[in-house]
Amino acid sequence: MTTLQTIYEPSITFDFRHSLDANRLKGLWKMMVDYRVPYVVATVSLAFSALAKTGTYLLLRFFADEVLTRRRFIGETLFSTFVWIALGFVGLAVVEGCFSFLSGRLAAFTAEGITRRLRDFLFDHIQRLSFSYHATTPTGDLIERVTSDVDALRRFFSEQAIGVGRIVLLFVINFTAILNLNVELALVSVVVIPLILLVSLWFFKKVTKAYEAYQAQEAVLSTTLQENLTGVRVVKAFARQDYEKDKFEKDNWGKFLKGKLLLFMHSMFWPLSDIVLGFQMLFGFVYGALMAIASEITPGTYLAYVGLVVWLIWPIRNLGRIIVSTSTGMVSYGRLMDVVRQQREPLHDGRHHPQGPLRGDLKFDNVSFIYSDGKTEVLQNVTFHARPGQAIALLGSTGSGKTSLVNLLPRFHEYTSGSILLDGLELKEYSRAYLRSQIGIVEQEPFLFSRSIRENITYGVGREVSQQEVERAAIAAAVHEVIASFPDGYLTLVGEKGVTLSGGQKQRVAIARTLLKDPRILILDDSTSSVDTETEAEIREALTELMKDRTTFIIAHRIQSVMGADTILVLDKGRVVQMGTHADLIQDDLGMYRRIYDIQTRIDEELQREIARVD
Amino acid sequence: MSDELIELEEEEYTSQLTAPVLRRIMGLLKPHSIWVFGFFVTIALVSGLDAYFTYLNKQIIDQGIALQDRERVFEIAAIYGTFILFQAGAVFTFIYLAGVLGERIQYDLRKLLFNHLQDLSLSYYAQNAVGRLIARVTSDTGRVSDLLTWGIVDTTWALMNIISSTVFMAIINWRLALIVLTIIPVMVVIAIEFRKRILAEFRVSRRTNSKITGAFNENFQGVRVVKALGREDSNTREFQSLTTMMYRASYRAAWLSALFLPTVQVIAAIALGMLVGYGGLQIEAGLMTIGGIQAFVSYLTFMMWPVQDLARVYAEMQHSIASAERIFNLADTPPEVHDRPGAVPASTLLGEIEFDHVDFHYEDRKPVLTDFTLEVKPGEMIALVGPTGGGKSTIVNLLCRFYEPRQGQIRIHGRDYTDFTLESIHSKIGIVLQTPHLFSGTVRENIRYGRLEASNEEVEQAAKVAGAHDFIVTLEKGYEHNVGEGGNLLSVGQKQLISLARAVLARPELFIMDEATSSVDTLTESLIQRGMEALMKGRTSFVIAHRLSTIRRADRILVIENGKITEKGTHSELLKLKGHYYRLYTQQFRHELETRYGFADAVGLPETADQPQPLPAD
Repeated sequence: MTTLQTIYEPSITFDFRHSLDANRLKGLWKMMVDYRVPYVVATVSLAFSALAKTGTYLLLRFFADEVLTRRRFIGETLFSTFVWIALGFVGLAVVEGCFSFLSGRLAAFTAEGITRRLRDFLFDHIQRLSFSYHATTPTGDLIERVTSDVDALRRFFSEQAIGVGRIVLLFVINFTAILNLNVELALVSVVVIPLILLVSLWFFKKVTKAYEAYQAQEAVLSTTLQENLTGVRVVKAFARQDYEKDKFEKDNWGKFLKGKLLLFMHSMFWPLSDIVLGFQMLFGFVYGALMAIASEITPGTYLAYVGLVVWLIWPIRNLGRIIVSTSTGMVSYGRLMDVVRQQREPLHDGRHHPQGPLRGDLKFDNVSFIYSDGKTEVLQNVTFHARPGQAIALLGSTGSGKTSLVNLLPRFHEYTSGSILLDGLELKEYSRAYLRSQIGIVEQEPFLFSRSIRENITYGVGREVSQQEVERAAIAAAVHEVIASFPDGYLTLVGEKGVTLSGGQKQRVAIARTLLKDPRILILDDSTSSVDTETEAEIREALTELMKDRTTFIIAHRIQSVMGADTILVLDKGRVVQMGTHADLIQDDLGMYRRIYDIQTRIDEELQREIARVD
Repeated sequence: MSDELIELEEEEYTSQLTAPVLRRIMGLLKPHSIWVFGFFVTIALVSGLDAYFTYLNKQIIDQGIALQDRERVFEIAAIYGTFILFQAGAVFTFIYLAGVLGERIQYDLRKLLFNHLQDLSLSYYAQNAVGRLIARVTSDTGRVSDLLTWGIVDTTWALMNIISSTVFMAIINWRLALIVLTIIPVMVVIAIEFRKRILAEFRVSRRTNSKITGAFNENFQGVRVVKALGREDSNTREFQSLTTMMYRASYRAAWLSALFLPTVQVIAAIALGMLVGYGGLQIEAGLMTIGGIQAFVSYLTFMMWPVQDLARVYAEMQHSIASAERIFNLADTPPEVHDRPGAVPASTLLGEIEFDHVDFHYEDRKPVLTDFTLEVKPGEMIALVGPTGGGKSTIVNLLCRFYEPRQGQIRIHGRDYTDFTLESIHSKIGIVLQTPHLFSGTVRENIRYGRLEASNEEVEQAAKVAGAHDFIVTLEKGYEHNVGEGGNLLSVGQKQLISLARAVLARPELFIMDEATSSVDTLTESLIQRGMEALMKGRTSFVIAHRLSTIRRADRILVIENGKITEKGTHSELLKLKGHYYRLYTQQFRHELETRYGFADAVGLPETADQPQPLPAD
């Protein structure tokens, strides 16, 4: 299944880099390509739905004035008129319902459609961002953006933008309808509307702040709770239960008070706006009734007015809430565009796309690498030659540049000067995709995905792999027996829902994965300090198998693991301070290698002494 | 399992209504019956007045306009206006009462649960993931308090609305009211059916959403592997199957919601059609007025809101009751370890400590300790070494009386320690955990946790003894420096020093330490060693030891494997045996020295990149 999927390019239907715009509203509009028509239709449908509702009240007017008062019939009799009118009501309701459904469906179509392709795009985009972007951006921050911010945009399209449209349309249509009934009546019905709109805008801004404070207090409470529960041993060991209860009480009470304030605000706003809007309505009713009595309008007109004015006045109160909430969508747009704006690392650039595998001949010539801050020189003038099939060991303390050096090979980072010739051609001219298909990396604590062990082993092979092949790789990596001992064997899930593998086991799964991939160049983080002696021997054997016929770079931490290498590079502060075979380097009494070697020897001697002392 | 998944899983569990649970839930309202009465009456009033306003409109038409009576219009308007004010007062009251009561119930429940959690034993924590417990205290209490306040408000409003509308309709014309009454049940059934389907889709979409978050998370964390293995394209394709699933479920949920209201409206319109037809005939017969028709139209148009509300409350109620059940369950769990009747305070722990044929298991038939016997003299230092899962932590857990032996006894000064009160034992123990746990707040607050009444000088003195003082004063705000959530703003070594200082301040008689396996830099390491030394002086101490210097200093070393002591003695005695201890020791020896000379990286901290990192403050 995996392989079938790799054959096709993923279809990212929309490139959100086209929706970058300094004006956030414009940017949101650009995001809507392909969905503009449905969304506009959704809005227009709202208008039709509102019109149908208005029609209901106008029909009522017709019924009262024409049929009941003026005795104008449709068809022959009064009864047939009633049937027609009844059908009219049902018909209008059906029209209203259909349009309202159409509008809801199209708005959902737009919002969900945009969200889906936004998620697809972000997922694809982020994994193609440079290695240094990922190294400097906390996962939590990215997660926050691709979840909460995406959801805020979804709500912008599904609720907020259309919500504003709905209320405005209801207002315009019903206001026009009342204007047509009677201009004077229409004008007296909207006296307080501007006021209530302003007040509700002001109120919802305030209440949003109070709500944020309430949420912040909830977060404080959660932290207290979380720390208490995870630190239960400390709490018990110091017998601090009462102290903890007091602390929680303080936070809990604080939240209660903040909640109370929030509710007080709501309990003031709603009845006060009820009073204002209620009296506005009543004013209209009385005004209209007096006009009807004075025969300036017909009773039917009054009837229609009473029905229509409700849709004019009450929704306005919510307009403030929705307008205030749209700011969330705007902020989220900005936060997402920060990610979208990032430069991708092109996978398929470069002039060389060899058909076959590499030979694995690497020539470093005066290679330097300055970190993206422009100051930190991570590597300086590194020069050496690795012939196909050779093993190159890199020795040096933490921060000496070992990892940075090997990171240049798959073009995770780009060297800033000098040249690296791979099979005689400049490394930068190979596409990343090709390089990475030819390079295998086995880390000290490899990252495994929460899928089955089989999928982890075949991850990245890019072709159909038979079970025999998988097992052969696992056997060579000395991990088959461990896997076979799980109840679900190779289908056992790794991680939370499945088994937790030890560091050594993970490493061997990664070795199996790399064996299947069969790369020409191998990067090996050879630190076995965290595993016990028995596994160390097994891993060593598996590694020897893996290194056969490949150009191998070993990031080493101890002399034992570099002694067999064809060339040893001793690194210090980004420079190669010594180079040669073990036999060469050991000769140089003043060299760093010799110092490291001496220390290692001394450690062994000390241990022997220590043991001898107790005897 | 992630917290999000736990919550999802629990949310999906709905409870069958059971009378006792429901009674118990309602019992939560008992202390607040006046508040409940208050919002119950006011929301009913609000709802009734809404229906009455429609009726007043009818009166304006029939008695004012139809009869050309201006005075009557003003009279009705006066009544109308008065009731608007009344209603506003009622709205204020019910929002305030129900809202504040909701917060109050949540406050009470959280307090109840939190306080009970403090008394529960470690065994309970071992069986229940922290995520689950947090969900219990936060979301479950929220759901129950919502049901008890807004649930009641919505139900009362909806029922009252239907009832009062019906009554007014019956007053206007009872024959027409009957027509309306027949459609209400139809509307309710339709509403519930819609709700069920929407909820089902909604759940699929939430579950998918959590998978999507998981996929994002994994791809970010494993981005190096993704890039190295060129998995970008296939990962995106796989991800697209998730977003497609998500799209289907949420799109369906959204358009089902969009279909719901129109459906109800059309049904209402059919009733309206019947009304107008039949009502017209009634007008002809003089049994109905134009205002009456207007009122019926209004009542019918707004009938769908209460129906929708009832459906929503009904759908949510089952989840809220399940939440309540879980809350009660937690509140009813008795603590496993507790004071025996007649327990006395232990005067001192500085006496002989004996494990007498102790058996222990966490789960049935999986013995962890069997027939474990040990005598420790006051002031002795015991080092426990051996493989993970061998039983070292269990020994410490029993010693602290976080758990009690299943068989056998632990005696302090010759007396079974279950004769003593828990508080008196715990207050005489100082403990430093493998992964030091700090609380949000300042450095000073964290140290003072050891002895709450300690003065500032005493806190600083303890920090000096523990070797923490020097680094604390280099922090930006010294002792007032904020350590961050869980102490995250400090390094592991710094956290250890602070937890040592905390233990020093507690002036314990029994000191227990679980040494960290991860390395800290050499300077901090030696500070920690010195701090430990200071702490152990004149105290009995147990150390789960990983460091050579600690092990060498112990009076006795116990090698614990499979719940038994396999080797015991002093360092040199054990080395001579050339057994387990010998192997452990030589391995650790090599590793420690390599680390010291800077060739091996700290265990458990794989080197990921050589890029420069800011130096930690210590």
